[in-house]
Amino acid sequence: MEFKLEAHRIVSISLGKIYNSRVQRGGIKLHKNLLVSLVLRSARQVYLSDPCPGLYLAGPAGSPAMPPPPQQQQQQPGEPAAGPPAGWGEPPPPPPARAAWPEPEPQPERPAAPVTGAGDAPRGGEVEAAEAAWRRVEGAREAAEGGAAGPAGGSDGFPEGPRGTRRQCGCPPGAEDRPGAPGACPRLACCCAPRPAEDEPPAPPAVGPRKRGAAGVGGGPAGGPASGSSPLKKPRRNSEEQPGGAAAAAAEEEEMETGNVANLISIFGSSFSGLLRKSPGGGREEAEGEESGAEAAEPGQICCDKPVLRDMNPWSTAIVAF
Amino acid sequence: MKCKEMGGAGGGNDIQWCFSQVKGAVDDDVAEADIISTVEFNHSGELLATGDKGGRVVIFQQEQENKIQSHSRGEYNVYSTFQSHEPEFDYLKSLEIEEKINKIRWLPQKNAAQFLLSTNDKTIKLWKISERDKRPEGYNLKEEDGRYRDPTTVTTLRVPVFRPMDLMVEASPRRIFANAHTYHINSISINSDYETYLSADDLRINLWHLEITDRSFNIVDIKPANMEELTEVITAAEFHPNSCNTFVYSSSKGTIRLCDMRASALCDRHSKLFEEPEDPSNRSFFSEIISSISDVKFSHSGRYMMTRDYLSVKIWDLNMENRPVETYQVHEYLRSKLCSLYENDCIFDKFECCWNGSDSVVMTGSYNNFFRMFDRNTKRDITLEASRENNKPRTVLKPRKVCASGKRKKDEISVDSLDFNKKILHTAWHPKENIIAVATTNNLYIFQDKVN
Repeated sequence: MEFKLEAHRIVSISLGKIYNSRVQRGGIKLHKNLLVSLVLRSARQVYLSDPCPGLYLAGPAGSPAMPPPPQQQQQQPGEPAAGPPAGWGEPPPPPPARAAWPEPEPQPERPAAPVTGAGDAPRGGEVEAAEAAWRRVEGAREAAEGGAAGPAGGSDGFPEGPRGTRRQCGCPPGAEDRPGAPGACPRLACCCAPRPAEDEPPAPPAVGPRKRGAAGVGGGPAGGPASGSSPLKKPRRNSEEQPGGAAAAAAEEEEMETGNVANLISIFGSSFSGLLRKSPGGGREEAEGEESGAEAAEPGQICCDKPVLRDMNPWSTAIVAF
Repeated sequence: MKCKEMGGAGGGNDIQWCFSQVKGAVDDDVAEADIISTVEFNHSGELLATGDKGGRVVIFQQEQENKIQSHSRGEYNVYSTFQSHEPEFDYLKSLEIEEKINKIRWLPQKNAAQFLLSTNDKTIKLWKISERDKRPEGYNLKEEDGRYRDPTTVTTLRVPVFRPMDLMVEASPRRIFANAHTYHINSISINSDYETYLSADDLRINLWHLEITDRSFNIVDIKPANMEELTEVITAAEFHPNSCNTFVYSSSKGTIRLCDMRASALCDRHSKLFEEPEDPSNRSFFSEIISSISDVKFSHSGRYMMTRDYLSVKIWDLNMENRPVETYQVHEYLRSKLCSLYENDCIFDKFECCWNGSDSVVMTGSYNNFFRMFDRNTKRDITLEASRENNKPRTVLKPRKVCASGKRKKDEISVDSLDFNKKILHTAWHPKENIIAVATTNNLYIFQDKVN
């Protein structure tokens, strides 16, 4: 349902902001991070409280277009997913495939991404996903140059984030590259089943060079192009448990996608987890003025429901943990 | 004397606002250090101080106009420029401390010199700005250039005298109030006793004596024992203009607490709590962010206070805690854009607000270099733009209008064409006259009402 998609997007944007705040001049701004964590909490509540995402059919293949940074609004008229009054009233977009978390249904093999060329289809897809995920993490640095960066100096918006995420399910929001076939997905009504070769070049201009770059760099083994980010990603990739062997390809790809998210969570730790946890307990002592602990805790350890969490996929683990 | 013609929507006795001056670089490429971060008139209005991200303070002085032929009030020209704060590094925490000037507050003038407090995130400084227009000459043991004379060459004695010299304005730091804030200072406010002042950071408020730098009293502390239970921070604080025992502080949750220092040493328990219940129909992911108060200002009378949150300005009567007496929407058309504004960080912009001298009009900034004035008596409001396009002196500013939806009329601007990079966060109103200072990113505009 559109709440969930919106929430999903907001969560990843928020995580990006918190991540970026660590490198901002002048130290971490307590006020801003508190506000971001409040938004994260609200989004998380919506995200987790939505019980059956898979049941919501996608009518049109197009989900709300990514609201571009305001100065680019002439490219995409309107503000479809902007806020509740506008957002709530919209037709539900296709939810991301990963929303049906516990199901180990294998995701259909994706066709070879044309840009990646050589390599198997899943490999290529994984690389793309890795690229997309990597680009998100790198987004902070690129935000200044990237076309889709926000207007404010030092903006740490992550326009690429959700887009990259949605690539996971093969339904980038723009619908410019996915003409329908809502019933194609066996599991979900979202048009994500057969991963078409739409991820890369047909990205809309607003998405900009970053997405194209993500795909364009592609090719080669999974380890290669992602090496730039591997310090962040590799440990997670290896240590994350996979929910079910049958979903190996999909899960692994998903894990890469969310690996850095889970990593972001662990990097800034359980900040304000008092706000975000359902139950008290746990958490670490916060240094004064420094609410982002840098301890590398597993996301699953932050929340007290460890055994439950291990069964959930990394994305939801990250959400719940945070 | 004042022009009473209708000036469009008219704010404030149908004042017609005219461009007077603009200060700052014309460049579109804004150097980050030049970004203006605070603007403040002194108590007489003769001096106008600005602080910027580079840690500099620039003070403008109003020319003494010729009273007989007052076509316009005197112009503001640079009086003094000095580097108030430098970037610092906290080695213990591996934190860089920005030199950006967060606030400037003037002390009332007691003698020939002027004093102001300026603060960055961690340190407050008291600056003395004094004029020197004469210097002593005719020393016996010193040459004019300062070299010492050999006493054996002195044959006669003379008395040194003061001779006039070109005016020199010197700024010297008289007090440095440091190491009292763990979090980022957001406000300073001078008490009406003119001896003490408060400084507020995200979690604490300290009371200082202007003469004493090595200690301060903590009067508010909202830091929870467990930081993970933190739910709100202090966003602004101000002393009451007349009651030296009373101050208010606003929070990120949209509440204002009024505290009486006579009640106890630590004013954690408020005397009054001002809070308006949230409108449930407006609930969104961002409700909490937009309810965070970015500025609080007492009226000159002390009877009211004004708060600014992201979308509105609210006027509170100190005698009524459960809701504001007036609410003015600054840019309600942004309510449907909150998600984008969250993405590009604009939703975190901290707009300030100010009263005019008679407390009849309030002013605040918006985007696209627009600023808004609300007349409390006539209930009329006006939107004006600070732009170099209207930069002929005495050009009357044309009211602007944002078209929220539907058909855009001629001369209206649609919400989608607003430039969110051009934001007016800081404005100031002369304490006595209708002169306003409006800061765009790196320019300072001065507007006056039309005379004659």
